[in-house]
Amino acid sequence: MPSTRINNQIRRLRFDHGEMTQEELAQRAGCTRQTIIALEQSKYVPSIELAFKIAKAFGVALEEVFQYEE
Amino acid sequence: MTISQKTAWAQLAIFGALVIGWAVLFTVNGTVFYWQDETMKMTFYWLLAAAFAALVVMNVVMSILKSLLKAVTDERDKAILRKASLFATGTSYTVVVALLLALAITYMNGGSDNIPVYFPLFIAIIGGVTLLLTQAIAALVMYGRKVNHA
Repeated sequence: MPSTRINNQIRRLRFDHGEMTQEELAQRAGCTRQTIIALEQSKYVPSIELAFKIAKAFGVALEEVFQYEE
Repeated sequence: MTISQKTAWAQLAIFGALVIGWAVLFTVNGTVFYWQDETMKMTFYWLLAAAFAALVVMNVVMSILKSLLKAVTDERDKAILRKASLFATGTSYTVVVALLLALAITYMNGGSDNIPVYFPLFIAIIGGVTLLLTQAIAALVMYGRKVNHA
């Protein structure tokens, strides 16, 4: 499988939000902790819906969480 | 580990044990076909029945756990399960087609007398076991790899 060109700032944003735990973010976004781990390790490319939920959990715009590399 | 991963591990353990049980049985009896040995025949079926009973119990336990816990599965689990099922379906179809070809070749070479009446059932059983075993292995491999939602 070709490597994804979608990067994310989830790990940094968690620390910027008072060292939010993976479990807490997972609960806010409505997914499992394993999915947050996979996202941070760039092992999963989420759906648009989950991407928006994660951005909403941090209270930031989608582009601040996910970036597409040209 | 998510519930889906635990389910896949349990499925792998059950059907891995079944295949090992059959392998031991075949080694002891010196044949790979259960219809060539009357004592072996029932043991073959009992092992299969035990595996499917274990599968049913495991699914009931996992369903109870899913209803008790929050956010136990999500879109990644579903994506992995969908991809693993697709891969397993293709693999089991290939195995079934290969066994049907073997059946056809046996028929063409020696006529229907050379084909045991159990052979079609054998093909169905092997196809089912291959499907469940491959699905579990594929799902566990995909949990450690990069996966896309689409």
